[in-house]
Amino acid sequence: MLRVNQVWVKRGAAVALQDISLSLEPGRTLAVVGESGAGKSTLIAAILGLLRPSHGEITWAGAPVRACRPALVMQEPRSAFNPVLSLRRSVMEPIVASGGTIPADRLCHLCDGLELPPDILDRRPTEVSIGQAQRVGILRALVASAPLVLFDEPLSALDAVTQKHTARLISDLQCEEGFAALIVTHDLGYAAAHGDEIAVLKSGRIEEIATPEQFVLTPKPGYCEQLRDAALALGALEAAA
Amino acid sequence: MTLSVSGLSAVRSGRTILHPTSLVIAPGARIGLVGLSGSGKSTLGHALIDDLRAQGRSVAHVPQSPDEALDPLRSMAFHWQEAEHALGLTPGSADQRGLFAALNIEGGDLSKRPWSWSRGMQQRFVIAMALIGTPDLIVLDEPTSALDPVVAAATMDLLDRHLDGRETAMMLITHDLGLAARRVFQLMVMHDGQLVEQAPTDDILLRPQTRAAQALVAHRNWMALPC
Repeated sequence: MLRVNQVWVKRGAAVALQDISLSLEPGRTLAVVGESGAGKSTLIAAILGLLRPSHGEITWAGAPVRACRPALVMQEPRSAFNPVLSLRRSVMEPIVASGGTIPADRLCHLCDGLELPPDILDRRPTEVSIGQAQRVGILRALVASAPLVLFDEPLSALDAVTQKHTARLISDLQCEEGFAALIVTHDLGYAAAHGDEIAVLKSGRIEEIATPEQFVLTPKPGYCEQLRDAALALGALEAAA
Repeated sequence: MTLSVSGLSAVRSGRTILHPTSLVIAPGARIGLVGLSGSGKSTLGHALIDDLRAQGRSVAHVPQSPDEALDPLRSMAFHWQEAEHALGLTPGSADQRGLFAALNIEGGDLSKRPWSWSRGMQQRFVIAMALIGTPDLIVLDEPTSALDPVVAAATMDLLDRHLDGRETAMMLITHDLGLAARRVFQLMVMHDGQLVEQAPTDDILLRPQTRAAQALVAHRNWMALPC
């Protein structure tokens, strides 16, 4: 289980995260939402060990998170890959580095599910569309069978139909394999549809951790309610309203 | 005044990416141009803007990325003055204070270049420039993609209020039918560089005729899916 316990993170003189506590069980999904600069991506960096908390601790099964080799889907699809390597090399890099191998049928199955053409892995990042690059980033994270997968705006470059197909593939694979998923997103519809819980961050603090039903029907007054109302106004939660 | 274009098309690298397309846009119309990535929405938007401007019509454009609208070497103040100049307005006569307050960017330093502003603030600045005057048409290409949900909703509400009762027509280009359905009265569906369906919003939501429209309707909303 991922456990984030009373974590504070400073960036220079500024406090980026304040007293963050949350937990995430294998097979479950936590969606993290909030405005730009709220600390969502900082939380991912802290979980990965890229930023050291000034207070508190972050563990997976009682050990440092990096020991479980978590996978990450980065926010910027193109800059997530080495521009001079083929996408295949980039996808295989974490597997090769850990001395593992990937069954060919798993790679094909995931490419099919993500609606990626068979030859795409032989191209370089600049030779694919940004939406394809984002899905190859998801492929790289999923193919390694990591117990914890961190998604930073994983669907931002995809159109509405492809977003739903891709989210469904991630959820189906999670049901089969039981990885824990932490998803940072601006898309409140995605958070409500695929999160077991939703954590609302504001100014580095957790405003609320709620089930999707609580978030949609009885959000905490103030910022959480504003977010819910915005999702309704933007059509993201229309059917639930 | 009704806007009319005919035979808009585009070819890139020998491939037709926009088949000949004609449009008629009534004054005050609220149109959503929807379709999947690569269907030709932005291409049609650009072709429409070029043609109308060549006809002498005034068209404001909010591109998908503020990078397309803002010169990185020029200050934000320069961009604002250019927008006023293009509309034939006296410098400083536009309601900058009111628009900036409504879009929550009054704290932005106009003496700075675009990259000193956050991306979300740049996008709202571009939207403010589009709202300076009373153009015949405002074309908004995924205007809220760089914005937080709360800011995005407030921005769309501001657009609605600003356009209410005016003759300015609005075209909202988006892949998100859920958003378009809340904001426009008429939908145009693009697929493979062609306009395959156009009808009042409610008609398309209830009775989509083409496969492209059916896919968009089926996937317009996250919560409608059995997850």
